[in-house]
Amino acid sequence: MLHSKKLVLAHFWVAFSAFAIAILLGEWQMFVRSPLSQWVGNPEIYYRSVTAHGTVMGYVFPTLIAMGFGYAITEISLGQRLVGRRWAWAAFWILVGGALMASAPVAAGRASVLYTFYPPMIGSVFYYLGVVLVVVGSWIWVALMSVNLWTWKKANPGKPVPLAMFGNVAGAYLWAWTAVGAASEILFLILPVALGFKTTIDAGLSRVLFSWTLHAIVYFWLMPTYIAFYTIVPRSIGGRLYSDTMGRVAFALFLVFSMPIGLHHLFADPQVGAGFKFIHAVFTAMVSIPTFLTVFTIVASVEIAARLRGGKGAFGWVKALPWDNPTMLAVAFSFIMLGFGGAGGLINMSMQMNETIHNTQWVTGHFHLIFAGAIVIMYFVIAYELWPQLTQCASMPHRLMRWQLWLWFIGMMVLTIPWHFVGLLGMPRRMAYYDYSHPDIHPQAWGVVASVIGGAILVASALLFIWILARAHRVPKATPAPYRFAAAVHEPQHVPVALNGFTLWVALMIGLTVTNYGVPIYQLLTNPMSSVPAVPIGGVP
Amino acid sequence: MSAERLVSWRNRWFAWSVGAVVSLAIASLLIGFIWLPSAQKDMSSGSLWDMICRAAGAPTTWYQGPAAPASRPATNVVLTSDFLQRVDATEIGRGATLAMQCVMCHGARGMSEAASPNLAGQYPDVVYKQLRDYRSGQRSNVVMQAMSQGLSDQNMRDLAAYYAFLPQASVVAHGATEAPQLVRVGDPLRNIPPCASCHGGIGRKIGSPWLEGAPAQYLQTQLQMFAAGTRRNDINGQMRNVARHMTAEEMSMVAAYYADQPALAGARKLP
Repeated sequence: MLHSKKLVLAHFWVAFSAFAIAILLGEWQMFVRSPLSQWVGNPEIYYRSVTAHGTVMGYVFPTLIAMGFGYAITEISLGQRLVGRRWAWAAFWILVGGALMASAPVAAGRASVLYTFYPPMIGSVFYYLGVVLVVVGSWIWVALMSVNLWTWKKANPGKPVPLAMFGNVAGAYLWAWTAVGAASEILFLILPVALGFKTTIDAGLSRVLFSWTLHAIVYFWLMPTYIAFYTIVPRSIGGRLYSDTMGRVAFALFLVFSMPIGLHHLFADPQVGAGFKFIHAVFTAMVSIPTFLTVFTIVASVEIAARLRGGKGAFGWVKALPWDNPTMLAVAFSFIMLGFGGAGGLINMSMQMNETIHNTQWVTGHFHLIFAGAIVIMYFVIAYELWPQLTQCASMPHRLMRWQLWLWFIGMMVLTIPWHFVGLLGMPRRMAYYDYSHPDIHPQAWGVVASVIGGAILVASALLFIWILARAHRVPKATPAPYRFAAAVHEPQHVPVALNGFTLWVALMIGLTVTNYGVPIYQLLTNPMSSVPAVPIGGVP
Repeated sequence: MSAERLVSWRNRWFAWSVGAVVSLAIASLLIGFIWLPSAQKDMSSGSLWDMICRAAGAPTTWYQGPAAPASRPATNVVLTSDFLQRVDATEIGRGATLAMQCVMCHGARGMSEAASPNLAGQYPDVVYKQLRDYRSGQRSNVVMQAMSQGLSDQNMRDLAAYYAFLPQASVVAHGATEAPQLVRVGDPLRNIPPCASCHGGIGRKIGSPWLEGAPAQYLQTQLQMFAAGTRRNDINGQMRNVARHMTAEEMSMVAAYYADQPALAGARKLP
């Protein structure tokens, strides 16, 4: 039973509103650096927009979704009222305050450092403080998730933790630990410079600390999507989850393997040893295991639904699937995008192949396909599933929802496939303009134009999405049936102690962080020659 | 349930998870720190420990070769766009007298027949800056460093004013040649901007000489020196960055192209 409707709704509405604004910025960026537009006169304006787009889409939007969804999961799956609802509201307002505090200097052109900070560039101190507040707000959520699970466990000794809650708390712990990297970077390296106490910064150490956060944050974004795969999709399409244990193993493995892999973002960094780059490549490859487990389990679950509906044959069952169900459509799209994005990701994580596409538009294409594609389309599903509960609307417009999901899928493919392609042609990322009249760059022009069109389709889809959500507040009300997550074919009666808690997995996560990050961080910390002059952005910080 | 202990080798989940993760970590450590480095000559010299440290990015000893030359500014000269824009005949006259010592290499009227750069009509900021850099040693040349030692700052300004005053003589062109791609549009994928964006044709940046009719051998040598880092008085390293990315053929091609071009018609503006 969902009690904290207002709380969850507040998170979702702020998240999706911020998303709707940031997507417009993204499309503007695509447009101004395409051959369809004049060169942007002042590149700083472009980077200002990139910073805002990245900060909202990378920090604010997914964090609010994970938090809102987490509160909903707690009440629905555990069947208890949220413990610490006041704290949850406090966290929400801290986060909103932080987001606004970070936005102001970005909008004023005082912090065009991009959301990945890129020291030695230093922007306004309020930008970083705003980001810190966003993280602090999310840490309160982490604590609340932990406390709620603990309360439930005390009341239900020996009972298996519901899978949705298991995934939810795994995501929370993952985020708590992964945020430590960027938080240390901001607190110990960036803020002293941004406040004017220092004029130099250890850019190499900053990069390594940020990589600690930078890749694992993707799996934090991914967690709500995977929870939706396991616990929303099977029920929504009229089937059952093939294996509850497989879900637990996948979440546990994400906890272990998300962290010790971030250095694959620094394959070109001369300040990191080649041996550690190799180890991080190995562990990055390991992330494919929980992904494949999930793909297998969800396809099996979907097949169960199809066979329950009378599907026959080795592949004939696919036709029997409820394709008019928006959730079915979304999960299919999500898997296709995950497939393409994952294949590209294997190239990114391979040290040699990475050389070809390092710092090109390929990378931007890759993470849009995975995050904005495979992940965000399931955020839409989460909202669509919960909306009748949250707004008590009598009905959702399925036809429009299918349109919205189709548009998102097509838009994302048209956006990102050419984006990958121009990256292969050598187009660098983070550039405000390109001279398409140059014979060497001209072959990239059509790809960028295609991406602009893909982006426009995405904007249309996003606006339609917002309209569908807003519509629910105006239509006649009805009391919905209590929400429940998917049941497994074999409901767990007894779960091994390792898969009913997180001790082992958190210990392995921290242990691997120490082995894989310990030396690179220590070595840069103790190297007295690795600091460089800071570069203030937008005037004196 | 309560009987099941998590941290125990009897617990299969614990034993397998910890065992698998530790084995994977050890295997990747062995491959990444011993096997792969042993295949690379520059990684594997010295003892096993040396090799491991190198792979960790923390070599036991750092570079032992000759010390890099102490870094110094590319130039001490700061140029502004109004540099020597207003000169009077006295300055030009003084410059003409001083230029008597330059004629051996740079020609009687600033047009060289000795593979030295032509100076007639050259921008005053160019001549002045190069003289200053020769005198301070930031640009090196046996002859020019010696010649510039006796010149005062005013002497150099006068010389610059005089050469800027001289009309640019036309150089006979062998035939109209199409400007090479590097001159017209550069090669953005190698970070090479077009020559014409600074040296005239598309735009002119302060401190950049015009090159039409300059001796091919001189231009080629300068490009080679920029590429090798033996000439380093370009203020922001822009010529070094360009030349480093050019092949030997490209250097001789652009040098030949500029040498073949008729000098820009028309004299420089009179004071």
